[in-house]
Amino acid sequence: MVEPKLSVIVPFYNEEDNIQRMYAAIVAAIEPLEVTFEMVFVDDGSKDNTVNLAIEIARHDQRVKVVKFRRNYGQTPAMAAGIQHASGSILITMDGDLQNDPADIRNFLAKIDEGNDIVVGWRFNRQDKLVSRKIPSRMANWLIGKVTGVPIKDNGCSLKAFRGSLIKNIPLYSEMHRFIPAMASIAGPRIAEIKVQHHARQFGQSKYGLSRVYKVLLDLMVIKTIASFTPRPLLWFTMLAIPGMVIGTVLLGYGTWLMLTSSSHALPLASSGLISLASSIILFCSGAVGELVYKLGDMREQQFARLTRRVSSHRQLQP
Amino acid sequence: MDPREQIDVSVIIPVGERQSDPAKLYAEYRAGLAATGRTFEFVYIIDGAYPEYQAALEKLAASGEPITIVLLTRSFGEATAVSAGFDKASGEVIVTLPAHAQIDKSGIPALIQQLDSVDLAIARRWPRVGGPFERVRRALFHGLLSRVTQLRFRDLGCSARAMKRRVLEEIQLYGDQQRFLPVLADRQGFRVREIDVPQSPEDRYSGIYGPRSYTGGLLDIFTVFFLVRFTKKPLRFFGMVGVVTFGIGAIAQLVMIVQRMFFGQALADRPAFLVASLFVVLGLQIFALGLLGELIIFVHAGATKDYQVDRVIQFTSAGVPVTPKLEPKLDRTASG
Repeated sequence: MVEPKLSVIVPFYNEEDNIQRMYAAIVAAIEPLEVTFEMVFVDDGSKDNTVNLAIEIARHDQRVKVVKFRRNYGQTPAMAAGIQHASGSILITMDGDLQNDPADIRNFLAKIDEGNDIVVGWRFNRQDKLVSRKIPSRMANWLIGKVTGVPIKDNGCSLKAFRGSLIKNIPLYSEMHRFIPAMASIAGPRIAEIKVQHHARQFGQSKYGLSRVYKVLLDLMVIKTIASFTPRPLLWFTMLAIPGMVIGTVLLGYGTWLMLTSSSHALPLASSGLISLASSIILFCSGAVGELVYKLGDMREQQFARLTRRVSSHRQLQP
Repeated sequence: MDPREQIDVSVIIPVGERQSDPAKLYAEYRAGLAATGRTFEFVYIIDGAYPEYQAALEKLAASGEPITIVLLTRSFGEATAVSAGFDKASGEVIVTLPAHAQIDKSGIPALIQQLDSVDLAIARRWPRVGGPFERVRRALFHGLLSRVTQLRFRDLGCSARAMKRRVLEEIQLYGDQQRFLPVLADRQGFRVREIDVPQSPEDRYSGIYGPRSYTGGLLDIFTVFFLVRFTKKPLRFFGMVGVVTFGIGAIAQLVMIVQRMFFGQALADRPAFLVASLFVVLGLQIFALGLLGELIIFVHAGATKDYQVDRVIQFTSAGVPVTPKLEPKLDRTASG
């Protein structure tokens, strides 16, 4: 089979009301564009009839591939599985609940062709409840932008386009679908943001939400540390160790001096110094272990650099 | 594998410290399997040095019984023994049974029958004998376990289980993790069901469990906690513990420093300051360990997966299913 240019990845979880409409809308949006495409429907362990409907669609349309999970794993694993099973050179992810409009795909393709690696959607006229959805989301987006340094107005929008070779090599796990651009930033991609349509949910219940804020905060912390310290664990741990080392040395010196000159009551002070000194040494050693782990792993900086590089060579100029 | 006859059920029996009379138990199990009407084989794994048991089995095998005996050089633990036996098992259905009488023979067909609708069927001995102490101990263990795993299993001590072949193909167990197979299988997305099975009249432990079995149980729960809750998100666990420890130490230190500077209370003769700095340092270390854990997960994220794909469905233009592309793990076992 010929590799398609475009893969549309749609995770479904209990969406029997929407899947057929979604399929029709995607086909109607992409067919006029005259690109080869495939659709990857990921069934995230639905308990209703979703998977059978998806298989029925696939039976009639060979461009549809259904990836069935053994049980419900959540949105990030569903996206990750879809990405791994897609074969297009451009991947587009979107929600399975008709809140994204497949008609926007045209603009995403144009942006990718302009040379961007990632294009994210911005639901500028978001059709959701103000207090429970929009305000928390705006705060979260502001925070994510500040912390990760990737200022995106709408991290929660599922409608995104990626260069396939890039996104397939970005590890996606836990609940990172909200942070895909931030996570991908370790590879230094060109990111663009465009406005997309957003429709209110018509059928069925909302399945995924900004469920627990603290989880988002912890994940954010993980991504920040990973994205900034991954290539140089030793440096990071050393920075953690330096305050301990300074404080330890000062306390130890001062305590010893006190003990030698005046009273012998300075023992706790000197011991505190000794403890923090020891701690900073252990931190330094952890950094060394981190360096080792990084060297032995398969996610290294060179690889990320390769993902986004452009080569202009004299050889290309020759006919 | 013997090409002449297709074997339906492979029974794996790891022989460890606790044993019943081999010939009698074998006859019992055999009768239970014969009731299913399927072809079967037995794989015994001698996990340690039990020459008498081995001799009894060899005698049975010599008399034409379908028995394979695997000898391990030393005791490796039940889970390792089961996977050693699995290498020699050829049935589509795998049944693990204990080498000491636990369940009545009528339970074996019942377990195998469950596989029509689930991937792993486990036995709960019920009705069950046991004194009040024993009952409390069991309730404590399983109550704590279900809090940690959010799963309700009531008799993980019973090792009579029936499963589809792919359960053992996908789940790598080692050491003494055998009893947690249901927990790990559920995590892997397999359907697990616990059914009531009559207890064998011989399965009666009359002694009182010592403190060792309590600490052992706690350690087991700790293991499961780590396997289930945190292998994917180390910083969520370590980070929390580290920040709390660091916070306690830092606040205590701050209070003492303020007292020293503004209230004239001498710092030098307060060992509490020492304890506070220990907390600070400890918190920092724990946090750093969490970071290391995250780093390990991150650099190996390509090899470890969060999810299990049941199958991939695609059709050709003629409406014929494309040969399913199997997961790499399954692929390897299918070709080898």
